[in-house]
Amino acid sequence: MKKLLIISSIVSILISGCAKKLDILPLQSVDETLVFTSDANIKAALNGAYDAASSGSLLGGGFQNFSELLGADGEITWVGTFNQPDEVFRKEILTNNSFVLGTYLQGYRVINICNNIIASINIVNEADRDAVKGQALFLRGLMYFELVKLYAKPYSAGNVTTNLGLQVITKPTKDGVTSNNNVPRSTIKETYDQIIADLTAAKSIIGGETGVYASEAAVSAVLSRVYLQTADYAKARDEANNVINNSGNTLESDYAFAFNNSFPSTEDIYVLPVTSQDGVNDLHTYWSILQFGARDGDIEINQSHLDLYETDDARLDFFYTDGNAIDRSGKWRLQYKFLSVIRLAEMYLTRAECNARLSTSVGATPEEDLDVIRSRAGLESTDATVDNIVYERRLELAHEGQRIHDIKRLKGSSDGFAYDANELVLPIPLREVNASAGVLKQNPGYE
Amino acid sequence: MRKLLLSMLASFLLTQFSLHAQTLVGKVTDAANQPIPNVSVVVKGTQTGTATATDGTYQIEAGQGKTVVFSSLGYGTKEVVVKGTTLDVALNKSDTRNLDEVVVVGYGTKIKKDLTGNIAKVKGSDVQGMPVTNLNQALQGRAAGVFVETNNGKLGEGVKVRIRGAGSLSASNAPLYVVDGIPISTDANSGNPIADINFNDVESFDILKDASAAAIYGSRAANGVVLITTKKGKAGKTSFQVNTQFGINSPTRYRGFLEAKEYVGLLREAAVNSDKLEGVDPADPAQYPGSWLQFAERRLTRYSGWSDWRKLETNTNWEKLAFNDRAATSALDVSASGGTDKTKFYISLSNINQTGILIGNSLKRTSARINLEQSVSEKFKIGFNLSLTQTKTGRVPDDNEFSTPMQIVALSPVTPFKDLNGNVYNSPTTTYQNPYVDFTDGKFNSTSYRNIGNIFGQYNFNSSLFFRSELGIDLQNQNDDQFYGPNTSFGNGTNGYGESGWFRGLTYNTNNYFSFKKKLNNVHDLDAVLGMSFQDYNISFANVFGEQFPTQQLQKLASSGLIKGGSSSESASAFLSYFSRVNYKFDNKYLLSLSGRVDGSSVFGNDKRYGFFPSVSAGWILSEENFLRNSNTLSFLKLRGSWGLTGNADGFGNFASRGLWGGTAYNGTGGLASSQLANPDLRWEKSNQVDIGLDFGFLQNRISGEIDYYVRKTNDLIYNVPVPGNTGFSSKTVNVGSMENKGFEFVLNTDNIIQKDFRWSTSLNLATNQNRITKLDGEQKLLPGNDGRYMNSLIVGEAIGVFYGPKFAGADPANGDALYFKQDGKTTNDYNEAGNFIVGNPNPKYIGGVTNTFSYKGIELSFLFQGVFGNQIMNGAGGFMSASFDWFDNQTRDQLNRWQKPGDITNVPQLRLGYGNGISASSRYIENGDYVRLKNLTVAYNFKSDVLKRLKLNSAKVYLTGVNLLTFTKYSGWDPEVNTDYRASNRNQGGDFYAAPQVKNVSIGLNVGF
Repeated sequence: MKKLLIISSIVSILISGCAKKLDILPLQSVDETLVFTSDANIKAALNGAYDAASSGSLLGGGFQNFSELLGADGEITWVGTFNQPDEVFRKEILTNNSFVLGTYLQGYRVINICNNIIASINIVNEADRDAVKGQALFLRGLMYFELVKLYAKPYSAGNVTTNLGLQVITKPTKDGVTSNNNVPRSTIKETYDQIIADLTAAKSIIGGETGVYASEAAVSAVLSRVYLQTADYAKARDEANNVINNSGNTLESDYAFAFNNSFPSTEDIYVLPVTSQDGVNDLHTYWSILQFGARDGDIEINQSHLDLYETDDARLDFFYTDGNAIDRSGKWRLQYKFLSVIRLAEMYLTRAECNARLSTSVGATPEEDLDVIRSRAGLESTDATVDNIVYERRLELAHEGQRIHDIKRLKGSSDGFAYDANELVLPIPLREVNASAGVLKQNPGYE
Repeated sequence: MRKLLLSMLASFLLTQFSLHAQTLVGKVTDAANQPIPNVSVVVKGTQTGTATATDGTYQIEAGQGKTVVFSSLGYGTKEVVVKGTTLDVALNKSDTRNLDEVVVVGYGTKIKKDLTGNIAKVKGSDVQGMPVTNLNQALQGRAAGVFVETNNGKLGEGVKVRIRGAGSLSASNAPLYVVDGIPISTDANSGNPIADINFNDVESFDILKDASAAAIYGSRAANGVVLITTKKGKAGKTSFQVNTQFGINSPTRYRGFLEAKEYVGLLREAAVNSDKLEGVDPADPAQYPGSWLQFAERRLTRYSGWSDWRKLETNTNWEKLAFNDRAATSALDVSASGGTDKTKFYISLSNINQTGILIGNSLKRTSARINLEQSVSEKFKIGFNLSLTQTKTGRVPDDNEFSTPMQIVALSPVTPFKDLNGNVYNSPTTTYQNPYVDFTDGKFNSTSYRNIGNIFGQYNFNSSLFFRSELGIDLQNQNDDQFYGPNTSFGNGTNGYGESGWFRGLTYNTNNYFSFKKKLNNVHDLDAVLGMSFQDYNISFANVFGEQFPTQQLQKLASSGLIKGGSSSESASAFLSYFSRVNYKFDNKYLLSLSGRVDGSSVFGNDKRYGFFPSVSAGWILSEENFLRNSNTLSFLKLRGSWGLTGNADGFGNFASRGLWGGTAYNGTGGLASSQLANPDLRWEKSNQVDIGLDFGFLQNRISGEIDYYVRKTNDLIYNVPVPGNTGFSSKTVNVGSMENKGFEFVLNTDNIIQKDFRWSTSLNLATNQNRITKLDGEQKLLPGNDGRYMNSLIVGEAIGVFYGPKFAGADPANGDALYFKQDGKTTNDYNEAGNFIVGNPNPKYIGGVTNTFSYKGIELSFLFQGVFGNQIMNGAGGFMSASFDWFDNQTRDQLNRWQKPGDITNVPQLRLGYGNGISASSRYIENGDYVRLKNLTVAYNFKSDVLKRLKLNSAKVYLTGVNLLTFTKYSGWDPEVNTDYRASNRNQGGDFYAAPQVKNVSIGLNVGF
């Protein structure tokens, strides 16, 4: 009996000591209740938002590749094995396309991180508060802008107060799904209003310098794109002018210097850092070849594109030919190179186009701006007509992810589909329609 | 007279003395003259008894005329009257389950006859020497209701085990594995850690299937429990066993692809068809430039390397090159066991060396074990069971990687294997990166060391009460060493790629319990267990990877010119449990068992941490009742029923209830980003199971068996439910629904022929299982899973992972378009307009196995057929390999039957290069997966005793054995036992994607005992 008591007491000691051992905390993650409690954490979350925005499904290549594949128009061919980009290239996109889903989800993830930061902005030290808030507003506005261009009818298609844009969410997700998330899609107009509101608010408080983080110049540059989409040429011109005059950036002396850099080039307004340690450049992944550490040359450049250039155009020389005599874009040749989101050259072309359309000379004449771009490419001056400027833009910004958006705003066509065709709009991912409890409407042509 | 009386008395006493004190010696052997150890030898009607030693010998005090009873597990009982002082006995093997067989239950053992729950026992000796690497593969087809499916033919990788169906959507559906009382870890950096266990050391597998058997393991037991008991030593002379075997491995089947002539013909046809759709006539030289035909022919030229495709100079069978034509398995096992009354030991050393059927795939396992038990005093014993294993695996990439050997089948038959310099062709000559180069220039060597062991002490207060304390560890240490040279797909463009990953798993566990057993008034049998256990799992990972290697010879990261990254992480979980069980038996007829367990788990939030898991079961041994007792035909009949509640807290992460933000990096600076939506209400999945069973035996149990019916309802299923993406998250882990499994299990063991020299017995098991999701959540009835290649969906009223999506309607006879049924039954050629239907179910309806064993003198023959019925398989790679030449991948031979001209009726749409004609996920790529397989066949010859005596051996046998020898199926893929590894999960079942066929093995072996 004595032994029984001894053993029993040993067991009871064991038991009492163990209950506390059930309190185990994660070591690779922080509980959400602890994140928005300090200045440092919120700044870390901002860095996290930049990282998420730079992922391969968004600015790290996803946005750009969708644009180029939709706007291929026979100038490029998708030859890779992935069905998802192939469907986009063929304009026969299935609503369960996982790339289409990935971009959508990740875009809203960035938006939610930004919403969290904005909601807790008062915890940030006063001195940095505006800069942090400005950057969060910038990223949110940029994400809505990139998403609305791909997942909704273009602004140029008109009916902006009836055509559907995106579900606009500006409150952070906490404690799960709320009615806040089950809202119908806003109209195109309302979505653009939100984008312009975010970017305008950001512009006045963000400050900073151009580079891998957003600055006033970056906000202006994106705003100029937004206004260009809405055909508000005066505002687009003024924002571009602001960038050219006040960013402190200059064009590289040689076109090739603007690409394949391991640091921001002098003309990068907003650029993603890509190194062997961090960052993604999915333009390299799909456009370059095995020899340079990419996939197997999934996107090929066709002769019809090369035929667009004058023979002595430096930008034509920049293409290279692989071992199978297939032409490749030199812009995305090397691995682990910084990826420009917006560069200064575009601002000259935007200012030139708007000035030409409006018959103004804000900042410079269209001729002067066009010449800046052409002379760097080793070309003679030419008439600064709107058509010529737009043509120059197509060459200068080729394969940088602007193609379909320019086609749409200029009311062109791609691969036989008119600028406002259903086929040139990505579907709302099937998963989202299913998860929305009937609130989220599918895009026309995909119902 | 006095003298006479005295001498009479003396002689009488002497006689009496000699009658009582005479020592009887002998040896017990089986029909094949093999010694049988541990046979119980008892003088009938007395307390005198002993057991045979490992060489089958015994010694007992038994006088003339006494009856000695010999009995042993797995053998018939024999009663012999003593004549003389030596008595050798041969026992007949009984393949029927002995009702006195001891069954291992949680925290104790029980006699089979007294069970009220359902436990399937597989003896270690039944699977001894099977040339497979994972113990579950050895168990396949041997236990009713235990479904085993190896993902593919890769060694040491995933094996799915489902006991009575799948009970969970997201949490683990795998059983709990307990080795000598210690639950072991099933985590690893790569591969399947169950492959670390040498099952030749195993005495028995006891599979706890119903809730009353498993509930003592509470929250760990919802998917059943596999109790693994290793061999222990027995008192007596030390005996040695040596087993050596060698065999060859080959794939169960080749699939077959187009030959060069067919490839060229069909590819050109596809290109011309695409041209015609675009109004181009490629036969017109003016229209040829820019045509699909030109594109295709340029590709053919590229793919042909040095040869000329127009002359068909090359016809490479790439499929054959995926396989290693010298794959072999060799094994050597040595063990010794023995001991004294106080000390008993079992030691073993084992080595298995297997080269897989796939190039680059191998597994080498060396393991050692010591099991030792010491009686310190009459009341106190201590001991330990300890094993150390080294497993070295040469891995191949997942099925979805370009570099995995099986994807070599995509390459064109017009491509020569080697260029004129003897180098293996690679991209761009090959259609894709050639996996053969990844094999020659790459490696993925995984080395793991595993130490599973426990120490125990047991104190017997008296004959009815003891206390036992066990402390166990499972220590895993794994290193994954990878290197890929500059010509491989991983190392391309970066001058090689190397990665070193380290994994450590440390599980410790303690069980402390009292066990009480008493018989009162000869009619009340009572036994009870009360105790606690605590378990802590900790896993940590570290890895580093780099590029830019100066030469292919230098493969360690010390030589990497660019360290690209590295990481380390750690995670832990813990369980604290209290358990109790009471068994009561009245008059050997009525059985009652109650058990309960309280579990606390760290994986749930503070408020939801503890759960209570009770069970109750009862049995009635009808054959003990007077009205049946004297039946000549019926020898045993027991009715039993049970109900229990078990839980599940495994398999969905250790911190699923929390809202989490994880670390990220941008511009060389750390950041925080959202990673998981919180759910503080997350709680246990609970599984309610009712089981009704009948155990029977006829004709002295020559015919015996079990029939069970069960209904298992799992509630509060844990699932990552999709949430609107605009939340910034894609899903949330919630307790969302309910699922039901119900089915019958049927076991029949018969001794068909029992003659002196010839015996034939049969063991049959059959099980049905019907799985059904009964609730998802209030609103959702359907979580569709069509991702373009697969269609595993969750639908209320249907089984988990049914294929739900477009139904293929064949090729349009008019124009060769792929057609699909719309919801209204009409057909369309627009995939987006296609309706959605349930077009297949990856869960089998029936599974079963039948073993026949014959023995004639020293020859033994046994074979096991195993079958799976009523399930479908979806080929996710159909869109590449059976794709009407959508691209340049070589095609399966069924594509020859394509639509060619109006009026053709076929299921293969018109060939169209680049047009994706019918390649999206649909019923086109679904087939029936039924199969019957000769899983195991063994023929053995046991040497006769006179030969053995001359050789001074106790036993010797030579045998021929094999696995997966024959497969009967209509599935047109490689192998119907398949679930492609890269996506295998609870929901994602029945998928095929370049998955290697299973391994067929034929071995010869020699087993010697001395």
